[in-house]
Amino acid sequence: MILDLERFRAQGRPRWNKLESLLVLLESRPDRRLKPDEAELLQELYAQTATDLNRVTHGALAPELRQYLERLVARAYAELYYAPPTRSELWQPRRWLRIFTAFPEAFRRQSRYFGLAVLITVLGGAFGGLAVRYDPASVDVLLPADYLRNPSLRVHHEEKGQARHLDSGQMEAAFSAQLITHNIEVSLLAAGLGVTFGIGTALLLFENGLLLGAVAVRYTQQGFGLFVTAWLLPHGAFEIPSILIAGQAGFYLARLLLRRREDRNMRQSIREWLLLIAGLAMMLVWAGLVEAFFSQHHAPVLPYGFKIAVGAAELALVTIYLLLIGRKDTGSEEGARVPAES
Amino acid sequence: MMGSQPNRLSTTAELTVATPEGVLFRLPLAGPAPRLYAMLLDTAIVLAAVNGLGYLVYWAFAKVPGFGVMTITIAEFAIGFAYGALLEGFWNGQTIGKRLFHLRVIDQSGFPLRIEQAWVRNLMRVIDALPFAYLIGGISVLSSPIMQRFGDRVAGTLVVRETPLAASADEFWSHQKYNSFTEYPSIAMRLRRAATPELASLIQDALRRRNELAPYARREIYREMAAYLQGEVAPFPDELIERLSDEQYLTNAAGMLFGDQR
Repeated sequence: MILDLERFRAQGRPRWNKLESLLVLLESRPDRRLKPDEAELLQELYAQTATDLNRVTHGALAPELRQYLERLVARAYAELYYAPPTRSELWQPRRWLRIFTAFPEAFRRQSRYFGLAVLITVLGGAFGGLAVRYDPASVDVLLPADYLRNPSLRVHHEEKGQARHLDSGQMEAAFSAQLITHNIEVSLLAAGLGVTFGIGTALLLFENGLLLGAVAVRYTQQGFGLFVTAWLLPHGAFEIPSILIAGQAGFYLARLLLRRREDRNMRQSIREWLLLIAGLAMMLVWAGLVEAFFSQHHAPVLPYGFKIAVGAAELALVTIYLLLIGRKDTGSEEGARVPAES
Repeated sequence: MMGSQPNRLSTTAELTVATPEGVLFRLPLAGPAPRLYAMLLDTAIVLAAVNGLGYLVYWAFAKVPGFGVMTITIAEFAIGFAYGALLEGFWNGQTIGKRLFHLRVIDQSGFPLRIEQAWVRNLMRVIDALPFAYLIGGISVLSSPIMQRFGDRVAGTLVVRETPLAASADEFWSHQKYNSFTEYPSIAMRLRRAATPELASLIQDALRRRNELAPYARREIYREMAAYLQGEVAPFPDELIERLSDEQYLTNAAGMLFGDQR
């Protein structure tokens, strides 16, 4: 088919212009919802322009006209077939509170990846602990920082309050922000390293466990077990589960990417991943505040028993939260919602 | 029939989308360079915003500087992610930098991107920015057939170029008073049949950029192209060729290819 381009252009231009101005109007509308008459007009103009494009593609050498029509069709196609989401519940301001229940639900749905994260961390911890216990030479390698290697000095400093500065409330505030951002960044790294098929995530978790195990054994060996528990537990009760959840998100992502493209339900999966990240970020904000304002106060001020009790209570709360919250929903609402989306 | 290949016309990467109606259209993908420029601009904007906020906080928290530092640190961190995620999410896939460089993030099936996708691809910057200067992201873009960095792969998005295009104007070769090639309809038909879209747009570009080319370069290019057409595609008789300059030859060919073909 060979067309008369001149006439073709002259005939087509009015409807192309009409479609273009309709698209400009629709695209400037934030909710992108069509009124019935607009939808009808859009559908009609889209069909006509698509036909024009087909004719140009197969019947004439007019690269620029073709490009122009392609862009027009692409834009109309997006407007026409794109179901404006119910603004993805998650990010609608009034639904934000739902994160608090959706997060533990997502956590439980993907619990096997959490199990894997725990396993790798425990392996790392065991390796680090055993190495420090049976091979004193490994201490220098595993615990490069001096304060980790020589607990007595550190404990002395801490208990005397020498590590603290004059206006400690101010310092603590600044410190907490650093902790929060740093921890969230590391967690994002662990969760994002799922793109390495989980290898990066596993290495990061293993290293984290290694350090934890080595420190715990080193301090306990030298008789500071109580101190280190009181030091780490109050924030660790939130921080350690968070990094494990980051690992969970990482492995979840790795599994997703290993699936065949057709088997992925990207929409659902992305939500799940984001929920885990949002939840662990909230936990890390709390952990950062506790670490800066609470964990750094030691025996004369705060008795170790009290600190450990607080830590244990936090741990119990986290456990209850992750395991039980939203459970009632799972029966009724959740059951109805999930299949509808998949 | 000529020009019936559905895919590549230019050498840049593109995504071909097939609609349910059986229409194929292509989306031109953005390469790493404009994306880098857009990102640098966005980074500058974020830094400026954070610094401006810094002065404000410094003034507001003058009595409690520690809490000022806390506010700034957290705000800086949050803005770093939220700037891209919120703008792309609510502004149909564009940040200020992307808008200026005519880029847009879309879903990889041709639809506008959703807000979760915007968050995922921006959170994944933590990976793409490694080890420095977005090296991983850059390698990922170059190794992906649809130019996705890791954030795009996970979120299922891609970045397209959005150069504003007007419907092409009429060109001078469509309005020749007389085209001597019409005297040889069978050879002209052969030219139309044999010319690929690439060849046709090459001729078009060469003619359109006539005045941008240095005279000797123009002579050389036109001579080569005319010789190629004459030798390989559609040999017109010598008595006609002798009367035509190379430029006129190409103009005639373009007229046959693009012009009124009734």
